[in-house]
Amino acid sequence: MHIFDGVLSPPVCAITGAISCAAVTFSLRRLKASYSDRMVPLTGMMAAIVFAGQMVNVPVFGTMASGHLMGGVLAAAIVGPHAGCLALALVLTVQCVVLRDGGLMSLGANVLHMGVVGSLGGYAVFSAVRRCFADDLRGVVVGAVLASWVSVMAAACLFCVEFQLSGHGRNYDLSAILTLMVSVHSAIGIGEALLTGAALAFIQQQRPDLIYHAQGHQTPAASVSRIVLAGVVCALAVAAFIAPFRSPRPDGLETVAKQTGFDRLESAANVLIPADSPVSTPFADRQKSGSWQRVAVGLAGAGGTAAVLVLAGLLGRSLRPDPLVAEADHD
Amino acid sequence: MTETSERISPPAFRPIRPETRVMASLAVIAMSTSLSAEHWPAQAALGVLVFVALTIARVPADWILRRLAVFLPALVLLTISFPAMHGFRTGWDLMFTILFRATVSFLALLWLTRVLAFDAFLSVLLRWRVPGVLVAMLAFMHRYLFVLWDELDRMRTAWRAREFGHGRTAGRSIAAARLIGMLVVRGLTRAERVHLAMLARGWDGTVRRIDNLPDDDATLSTSQTVTS
Repeated sequence: MHIFDGVLSPPVCAITGAISCAAVTFSLRRLKASYSDRMVPLTGMMAAIVFAGQMVNVPVFGTMASGHLMGGVLAAAIVGPHAGCLALALVLTVQCVVLRDGGLMSLGANVLHMGVVGSLGGYAVFSAVRRCFADDLRGVVVGAVLASWVSVMAAACLFCVEFQLSGHGRNYDLSAILTLMVSVHSAIGIGEALLTGAALAFIQQQRPDLIYHAQGHQTPAASVSRIVLAGVVCALAVAAFIAPFRSPRPDGLETVAKQTGFDRLESAANVLIPADSPVSTPFADRQKSGSWQRVAVGLAGAGGTAAVLVLAGLLGRSLRPDPLVAEADHD
Repeated sequence: MTETSERISPPAFRPIRPETRVMASLAVIAMSTSLSAEHWPAQAALGVLVFVALTIARVPADWILRRLAVFLPALVLLTISFPAMHGFRTGWDLMFTILFRATVSFLALLWLTRVLAFDAFLSVLLRWRVPGVLVAMLAFMHRYLFVLWDELDRMRTAWRAREFGHGRTAGRSIAAARLIGMLVVRGLTRAERVHLAMLARGWDGTVRRIDNLPDDDATLSTSQTVTS
């Protein structure tokens, strides 16, 4: 998972470094307010634990290879997201400087992937899922498993974007790299998820007081609305940023249609706006090549998702019972 | 790892300030990663420069080769995917460019870790206005890493003794996860004890350092203050 120097271009290294610096500074400020003098021993020890924990190799199912824990979600679940982010940043710094694991210029990118996405992002998923369960053990385990897998996949996707921005993508199709990275990291993510889930289940059984509980009580309604909001943001982000890099190959239905020949029926039936019509539709030229194509597809995806969400909201509101009628029925 | 952290920098590089050593290493890495395949003479010159620096630092060849043997297979696995994506017809140029850049950068970092002790690196960070708390955490982590390492070693020995090398994949994975869980419990219990000991010695959350110690000779006062 560590990126070596030479893989990403210096401008990309600088941008990821700046983002990581901002995240570490933010985490440090938040941590100072909550932990004060306990901050150094707690975060330092957590970093040492993650470092040592990464040395425990486990066999990967079905292969001769072995993998190890990355620890972003584990650290965040024990000491909180900000201390977790700092702990991972420290681990990566020591690994780079002492063990030459990961590059010095790529340190920012590595911290972004494993510290920021792994701990801060992973904890957001972990806490959202955990709140859905009344049983704390089940919530912790399911939350950790999901958060670990999602954080590994998010880091892999982020690497693909950085690789493309580094200029290597001129000769290589981003969708091919994305497919390769996602397929490899989905297996790595399963290993990370199982290790984190099992380790946190053990800790929850032995010392439940060690699991981090965020300060401030939240009502179930507030947490549900937060989950819904997170879902909406994720859907919009996927539609806007992932849709432009969709595979150019036909999907399953289109393949079957071409093989059986019923795709001709579709073109014959499509008479609402004929192909040679002077009337243009929004994003009609999205199939044309050009630099704006991906922006147009991204906008189309985000716009379509937003429209569906607005329709769903309107439908939900119309189906909600009138409070006066409901009160009368109750009486 | 203990050997790396406690090494004193070679005499040839002692007159050079630690900041200069870090900057030189960073400059080589930045140049190496910026140069494209067309600028191969400059890349080769950088490679020769790093080789000369490693020779002056008297870094044993077997020490370098052992580390390269760990580093290169992982990098080859990553970069072979570029020609593989094109059916091994094209993509070799990108593969070898990344391989060469990464190897030069790796050797430059290897040189830095050979000529700069970890505590000297921490004092460079402090002089570069990196927050003292962050440096103290790094020092703390570096100090307790070896303690936890020993702890993990003992736990792994006990695990192997009970498993007799016949465990199944699923069983081993669960045992590894429990090992990590136990490490967390023991590590954080130790952190609580260390925190109380630090409070007893007057720790108030402020990082102090002694400025009149030579960079290469003494360990960083931050780590002494925090962890002694």
